[in-house]
Amino acid sequence: MPDLRARLFRPARDPAWGAAAALLASFAVSFVAMAASGRDPVDGFGHLLSGAFGGPGPLGETALKTSILILTGLSVAVALIVGLFNIGAEGQLIWGALAAAVVGRLEVPGVMLLALLAAALAGGAWGLIAGWLKVRRGVHEVISTILLNWIAIHLIQGWLVPGPLAATGSGAHVSVAGTEAIQRGAWLPRLWPGTRLDLGFPLALLIALGVWFLLSRTRRGFEWRAVGAGPDAALAAGIPAGRRICEGMALSGALAGIGGALLILGTEHRYPGVFRTGYGFDGIAVALVGGGSPAATAIAALVFGALRAGATRLQLVGIHPSFAELTQGLAVLLVAAPRMFQPLLARLRGRDAVPP
Amino acid sequence: MNLVLDFAAPLVFAALGGVLSERAGVVNIGLEGMMRFGAFGAAAGAIASGSPWIGLACGALAGAAAAALHALLSLRFRANQVVSGIALNLVALGLVTYLLQSIFGSAGVSPEAPSLPRDRFGHTALAYAALVVPVLFQLWLSRTPAGLRVRAVGEHPRAAATLGVRVLPLRAVCVVCSGLLAGIGGATLSVGILGQFDARMPAGQGFMALAAVVFGRWTPLGAAGAAFFFAAADALQRHLSLTLHAADLRLDGLFLALPYALTLLVLALGIGRTRAPAADGIPYDPEART
Repeated sequence: MPDLRARLFRPARDPAWGAAAALLASFAVSFVAMAASGRDPVDGFGHLLSGAFGGPGPLGETALKTSILILTGLSVAVALIVGLFNIGAEGQLIWGALAAAVVGRLEVPGVMLLALLAAALAGGAWGLIAGWLKVRRGVHEVISTILLNWIAIHLIQGWLVPGPLAATGSGAHVSVAGTEAIQRGAWLPRLWPGTRLDLGFPLALLIALGVWFLLSRTRRGFEWRAVGAGPDAALAAGIPAGRRICEGMALSGALAGIGGALLILGTEHRYPGVFRTGYGFDGIAVALVGGGSPAATAIAALVFGALRAGATRLQLVGIHPSFAELTQGLAVLLVAAPRMFQPLLARLRGRDAVPP
Repeated sequence: MNLVLDFAAPLVFAALGGVLSERAGVVNIGLEGMMRFGAFGAAAGAIASGSPWIGLACGALAGAAAAALHALLSLRFRANQVVSGIALNLVALGLVTYLLQSIFGSAGVSPEAPSLPRDRFGHTALAYAALVVPVLFQLWLSRTPAGLRVRAVGEHPRAAATLGVRVLPLRAVCVVCSGLLAGIGGATLSVGILGQFDARMPAGQGFMALAAVVFGRWTPLGAAGAAFFFAAADALQRHLSLTLHAADLRLDGLFLALPYALTLLVLALGIGRTRAPAADGIPYDPEART
């Protein structure tokens, strides 16, 4: 799919407005859904907001979830830039998490940095497989990353964590205990007492800034974008398209891997026996709503991070947190089909309307 | 090995759905979501009506309804087919859990649903259907004019259009029937095997069905064969963990990863004709000039 990005986003003449409209519409639909299931939607959304922004605790949770979503969202976005659809952020994320959990146990100075580095390498290597298969063997990345996701999930969670890497001496609880705890020195320092906000949030923002710089201000970033826009043209211009695609997928995987490391080093402090994150899949939603730009991806991550954090508060009024997933899915559904909004946008614009 | 037939049935139906949609040129990543709607619809329908057969019909319709959304987005609004499928999976994940909790008051499992009758070997009619339907489907796809039209819109829609085939309506019908099949696959899980709906359903079976489609080279018999093979690996793993105390060895994960790894290997080595239909995933624009 050489012109993937173009095909994804072309129909929306104003991608930012399209995304904003899709988000608003998805919130509106879930508002109606909440009312339809017999709850007071105003009360529900009040709890949602207070769960996301009401005080230090909720703000910390929002930041925590946002930082992971920034990384997985960027992971998917970077792959889109080089023209690949990376469905595999989840697999790359859990390899990163495992690498961080293993390296984080070493008693060496600078173990935190080492663990982050190992996570980036592990996630990057898993991403690179899909890139290599695409370039050398012509295997479509959507299929290969889906397969790689399940290979990673079963290998890590069905074999490595409960098997060779299981914490010793936890007896009957082996299946839920996960791996041995990491070193205290590998923990990400908490930045705001009383909340779970840790170094991961500024780190994620810094990485987003770095990705933006790389993509828009360097020669390599330009070449990636050129390959994404059209590999044949890029090749004709002397850019080694295959290698650039592999690099993009490696970076994509590395970003997701770091996301996994933040979860382990920040909150879990071991690879837990039950680890269903879903952050990798949510990253797809974040990147699609973000339209492939790092800044918009970070903003989309904030919206979905707040939604995830706020949804836990919904349980107080008897609404299951899966409500967040519903809203998020609706947003992607609406972003997926920008043409749906064209008649509406055209009417809003009146005379300036461009025919769809 | 009695288990194989039971494990295979949901995969077979979903994989056949995948074959139908992809042969008509529409990528269907949303199989997982369609199965989920099917499994929930079947359980809810069976509980409401008291009849597992009505439940099965509800499940099939629920899958078809989800597929209709996929068809609307990807054909009418020309959304990217992969994105539309992913969106469908996300919505299925959230909406079904939400409905489960709203209707049955539990986010874990539904109450027990009436399940389909079993014969003296312990199989439901669906398990036997999973043996017969792939053969009929293969014959239909390769030997009838209707099957030829489906293949034509998947390989070269413009050529089909010049011969008078209405590409988009035919694709839409194929996608909706694909959802119908995936819905039956999901229903097999809830009213066929377990007798209730579990919030984790279908636990990746939709993606495994997708792998079976690819592994089976986009043919009904191939996909069904792959589904049986995957189910056999699954049954073997369960058998081993019961008899050899493989739970101590902790090799479950290796076994579960095997079908995916093999599919990837087959793709990577390019064994045989592992080619998707030529126009798979490419939106058809009747007004475009080529």
